[in-house]
Amino acid sequence: MLTTPLFHHYALSPRTWDEMYDDEKVRFQYRNVFDFLQRIPADELSKKEELAKKLFMSQGITFTVYSSGEGIEKIFPFDIIPRIITASEWNFIEKGIKQRLRALNLFLKDVYHHQFILKDGIVPVELVYSCPHYLREMQGINIPHDIYVHIAGIDLIRDHDGTFYVLEDNLRTPSGVSYMIENREITKRIFPDLIPQNFVRPVTQYPNILYKNLLALSPRQISSPTVVVLTPGIYNSAYFEHATLARLMGIELVEGRDLVVENHIVYMKTTSGLQQVDVIYRRVDDEYLDPLVFEPSSVLGVSGLLSAYRKGNVAIVNSIGNGVADDKATYVYVPEMIRYYLNEEPILKNVPTYQLSNVEEREHVLKNINQMVVKKTNESGGYGMLMGHAASDEEIAAYQKQIIKNPRQFIAQPIISLSNAPCYINGKVQPRRVDLRPFALCGPTGIEIVAGGLTRVALKEGSLVVNSSQGGGSKDTWVLAK
Amino acid sequence: MLSRVADSLYWMARYMERTDSILRMLKINYASSQDNSEDFSWQPVLRIFGHLEQAEAAELEPNGRKIIQYMVLDRENPNSVFTMIRKARENARGVQDNITTELWRCLNEFYHVVHEERLTYLLQHEDPITVLDALIKECMLYFGVSDNTMFRGEGLCFMNVGKYMERAIQTSDILDVKLSNLAYDLDKPADTTYWKYLLMSISGYSLYLKRYRSGFEARNIIDQVLFNVDFPRSVLYSLNQLQRYFKRLQSDQNTEGFSKVDFMIGKLRSKLQYSDVQSVSQTGLHHYLNSIGTDISSIGTTLNHYYFAYS
Repeated sequence: MLTTPLFHHYALSPRTWDEMYDDEKVRFQYRNVFDFLQRIPADELSKKEELAKKLFMSQGITFTVYSSGEGIEKIFPFDIIPRIITASEWNFIEKGIKQRLRALNLFLKDVYHHQFILKDGIVPVELVYSCPHYLREMQGINIPHDIYVHIAGIDLIRDHDGTFYVLEDNLRTPSGVSYMIENREITKRIFPDLIPQNFVRPVTQYPNILYKNLLALSPRQISSPTVVVLTPGIYNSAYFEHATLARLMGIELVEGRDLVVENHIVYMKTTSGLQQVDVIYRRVDDEYLDPLVFEPSSVLGVSGLLSAYRKGNVAIVNSIGNGVADDKATYVYVPEMIRYYLNEEPILKNVPTYQLSNVEEREHVLKNINQMVVKKTNESGGYGMLMGHAASDEEIAAYQKQIIKNPRQFIAQPIISLSNAPCYINGKVQPRRVDLRPFALCGPTGIEIVAGGLTRVALKEGSLVVNSSQGGGSKDTWVLAK
Repeated sequence: MLSRVADSLYWMARYMERTDSILRMLKINYASSQDNSEDFSWQPVLRIFGHLEQAEAAELEPNGRKIIQYMVLDRENPNSVFTMIRKARENARGVQDNITTELWRCLNEFYHVVHEERLTYLLQHEDPITVLDALIKECMLYFGVSDNTMFRGEGLCFMNVGKYMERAIQTSDILDVKLSNLAYDLDKPADTTYWKYLLMSISGYSLYLKRYRSGFEARNIIDQVLFNVDFPRSVLYSLNQLQRYFKRLQSDQNTEGFSKVDFMIGKLRSKLQYSDVQSVSQTGLHHYLNSIGTDISSIGTTLNHYYFAYS
């Protein structure tokens, strides 16, 4: 194998699924791209990488890092070689996510209403009430179509035999979808004609589906309801995404200070007076949404928003209090939820997870901590994690102390190696770990998943952490039509 | 349209117009300093556009390159091109859903241009005019893109209101810079090269040659720059455009605000329309030019009160 110098450094890792190679052979879905890459000279690829960077920069697909008062524009690292998913893999993923999301929506409805699942002892009561994202304020509120999760970004990883596992359910304000769209646009520019030759399914329809769903939620039955995107503002690292989504849907991008609630109705302040707002796609976290109910010092939210929501005068997407369902400790029970609510066997597997509040499981984890990754249940973005195989003895000891102090806050999972995908790094094609976040949209007419997603990649050699805050990048993600 | 959005568009346009004016003003002054360094002084430029103590300004004086560098790249100077492009882009970034992608990219690229390290070197060691011309070209690109791609709606109206208000202020300021060098004495024989550069830099040279047949004379230049309605940088032209775009904002929702601002614009426009060089030089040129600035800033305050106040 490995005939051109470009691939000479591609070393297959032991006990790891490789997205491109099946042992020595190139998998059929990658063959076209593999041949194509072999035909272009290496420095040509570096030029394409440069072009990609320039395109991101000039289009302002950047986030600003503020240091010593001066803003520096950064781009989210992009790897030029696409990640390819076959039609049959996608069918499986799609079915699995739809099933999971149906159950999770039913769970949220249940938790915030009759709580059958708690009464039947499937999910422990104390687990729900000890979750900081469970919001008592949402109890008993009826929301349009009983949809709590309108947008989900469920993270998937692949074990050494290629099996897909759900790593976490992001049901609050999942981000990254603009990169699914923009990465594709960049690929079109740097590899002209390659996409149609490979029969890649498009992703451009995402904003249209989202907009259709948002419109359908309007409490007022009028011909053109006012739908807005609520952003924390230009200093937020995902601001580019908020602006892009608003632009692609043709709706207003608002900040908390643009809105006001009067008599339980939400208005935006316009040049011709107040205008009623019907649907808010918010990218502000729960705790900052309404200073009257949650964090009182928040200036990102709108006073009285929750009362307007409670009265049914405004729809909020995603709903409030969803964190109780994507808490890392609740995650353990999702397969049970699927059986309980749907009477089906889960299609997508959970990563085996130990709850450290359980004494036996805790002891098992502490004994085998070298093969475990320990996570905080209420943290995300790769923060507060302990990778057992790489941590020093002191780090482990310090972490153990924390665990014993408050075991509910921790879960542990055996280290799953994540699959490798080819990346172009320093002039060579090298394997790096990837995950996959498809974006599912749940509307009154059902669940739709745009064929694609965000592939995050751990650009550091040997790293298993793909989060952008920990040196991760992304790839264009192709789902093949055939 | 959201008040915050209108506010941002208005300021984006003002910053861009000011950037363009300052670049052009620097260009004439630099060119003029090359021709005639004895009479030439940078002090009016620094006084009107800079934010320096008198001593600091005096220190910069003999060094045109340093002054240009201060006006183009200084990060502390609120009127430097660098600062204004940063502010214009920041305003645009907050309203990306209300401007075209082309316009956003244009501003974003301009932002990256003023961040290039090489600019400092070029301003220090190469021909400053080349650098200024390149930056002026970026401005022209912005004006072309905004005019050719922006949808004809409220947003463009607010942009143009900002643009023409700023232009009226800048034009009267640029004129003031020169006249203060002459101590506002129109009969004082001044070197014609300066007037020539002034007209060239604001694209008014060929119009002047065609329209005023008696050579370079301060009175004719003042006439063109203040009152000529065919000259797109004259104050009166700017006020006509300001009125035109503001009138499009009339709606049933904000009648009080509209009539207040409309009244103020109309009054100022009439003041210009029914003045001429002679009457103005009798009342005092400096006073007259100054009052234009004051009137425009009170229009700005009223506009802000009725249209932009949102927090």
